[in-house]
Amino acid sequence: MEEENQKISLLVEDISLLQNYIEDLFNFLPTPICFISPRKVILEANLAFKEISGYTTEEIIGKSIEEIFKKEEIESLLKEASEKELVKEKETVFITREGKEIPVSLSIKLRKSPEGEALGYFLGFFDLSQIKIVETQLREKIKELEELGEKELVLRIREIAKSKDIERKVEELEKTRKALMNILEDVEEERKKAEEEKSKTLAIIQNFVDGLLVFDKEGKVSLINPQAENFCKLKRKEVIGKSILELSQFPDFKPIAEAVGREMKGIFRKEVPLRKDFILEVTTVPIMREEEKIGTLMILHDVTREKMIERMKTEFVSISAHQLRTPLSAIKWTLKMFLDGDLGELTKEQREFLEKIYQSNERMINLINDLLNVTRIEEGRYLYRPVLADIIQICQSVIDSYKEEIGKKNLKFEFKRPKELPKVRVDIEKISFAIQNLLENAIRYNREGGEIEITLEEKEGKIKFSIRDTGIGIPKDQQHRVFTKFFRAPNAIRMETEGSGLGLFITKNIIEAHGGEIWFESEEGKGTTFYFTLPVASNTNVGTI
Amino acid sequence: MAKKILLVEDEDIMVDLLQRKLTKEGYEVFVARDGEEGLKKMREMDPKPDLILLDIIMPKMGGFEVMEEMAKDESLKKIPVIVISNSGQPVELDRAKKLGAKDWLIKTEFDPKEVLEKVKKQIG
Repeated sequence: MEEENQKISLLVEDISLLQNYIEDLFNFLPTPICFISPRKVILEANLAFKEISGYTTEEIIGKSIEEIFKKEEIESLLKEASEKELVKEKETVFITREGKEIPVSLSIKLRKSPEGEALGYFLGFFDLSQIKIVETQLREKIKELEELGEKELVLRIREIAKSKDIERKVEELEKTRKALMNILEDVEEERKKAEEEKSKTLAIIQNFVDGLLVFDKEGKVSLINPQAENFCKLKRKEVIGKSILELSQFPDFKPIAEAVGREMKGIFRKEVPLRKDFILEVTTVPIMREEEKIGTLMILHDVTREKMIERMKTEFVSISAHQLRTPLSAIKWTLKMFLDGDLGELTKEQREFLEKIYQSNERMINLINDLLNVTRIEEGRYLYRPVLADIIQICQSVIDSYKEEIGKKNLKFEFKRPKELPKVRVDIEKISFAIQNLLENAIRYNREGGEIEITLEEKEGKIKFSIRDTGIGIPKDQQHRVFTKFFRAPNAIRMETEGSGLGLFITKNIIEAHGGEIWFESEEGKGTTFYFTLPVASNTNVGTI
Repeated sequence: MAKKILLVEDEDIMVDLLQRKLTKEGYEVFVARDGEEGLKKMREMDPKPDLILLDIIMPKMGGFEVMEEMAKDESLKKIPVIVISNSGQPVELDRAKKLGAKDWLIKTEFDPKEVLEKVKKQIG
């Protein structure tokens, strides 16, 4: 018994010691711990728990845990603990007596009896407030650093962008500089080429065998070459900047100025005798640039020698023709004597041949006469004696002399004229020749049984003569050559092999020398009409027929 | 769902910064390093990106060319583009505008806050 009592007392002591130990331990633990019943009532709480909660022992024991923690949170955590037996370090909120909320990390352990019955829960947590504060501070610090880092990056990005920009701009400038250098080089080359061309051109102009003058847009001299200076006996400085009008003061330029006129338009060419034995052919050409006239070029070409040669030729023809006249006349008269029977009877055959020779001789005489007329025209010796005359009369005479020929070809002839026409001042012989020539052509190139119609009328202060035939006509492509020397159209030659081709040349000269105009209309195979006009005589006494 | 941004940019620093910033704001950021890669990614992605941040000067194919190609493609021409210009020359920005860019960022005056504002303005 005593043994047992001793054992019991020892046990009680042990239990007491143990209890003290547990209590001391419990209250030492710096971690707030409590023990709750299965019905969530706080049965035990350590000192740390009481301290942090602010409750006294009396207040805390018997309190529901749901007042110390957030209801929903603690409910679910306890449920979890009852299932898992242990819940570790769940963040939740602890509510103090004052109602202050403290973030905590809570762990819960289920206490079971050996039979598995729930005895209650241990709850332990530690205060996260400090940690939370540090966490926030850290986050802020990190943000700060991040921001600084970002700022650095941003600055770097901006700098790099700027320097790239500058790089690019420098590159562009360099490219531009190179391009400009190239352009300058090209320009320099072109300039040199232009200089060369200019020198060449200048050399040509200076040494040109003809005289050259260039007039600018305003008609003032901008260039004169040595030959032109020579021809006109002028010096460059006297001439530059002057107009044609001003230049006509100079005696050696005056004839040129007069020939050219005040304004130089279009292309002009004329022979101008400048001095004795010195004739210049003056040509003016407009200088154009893209449809606009920027000046005039005047070329002075010495034709003295050419003219001399021409004159010599004319003289030669003249002399020869004269020389030929005499023997031809002799032949004519001799033949006439033969044909008249003055040198004895002729057989039929002899007569025929002699007649042929006579005709040939006549033609030669006519040709010689025509040639002489031409030389006279060219020498300017084709002077005429103009007198007042009645054109109707002149025409009638010519017509009368051709009556036979007209009849021979069976031509219908008509002469239309008014009763009276104003008088004209003409060289009768020459005008007759002109009309004769036209009438001859109208007869010669007409068809058998054709028509000839001559009309005289007064028109616009002039006498108008026209002669219409139904002849072979003049082909269109030959029409521009009709009035030229020795011209005969192919169809005319075919019809009549004879003909000098001088008739119309002389006729034109005659009409124009009288101040008239001559022209024609013609269609090949149909016929031709020739027209000419003569000015009506003004009333001064020169002489009458 | 997070809005998708395709960033077409050849400079690493820029990519780093923008990617970080935009991802932080909750956007999903895809990256291409040049115009060619950018177009390829645009065509491959399904659904298409909600916004393109497009650098102008890049190797292989630059931003203007990319925009020209996008304009020809029915599936791409509606995607809003914010161009990233190096220097902000008026000539460049004008051309970008003509090619359909909705807004621009200028590297020499760069500000990340501006980026966010402009992105938000386009896609929210």
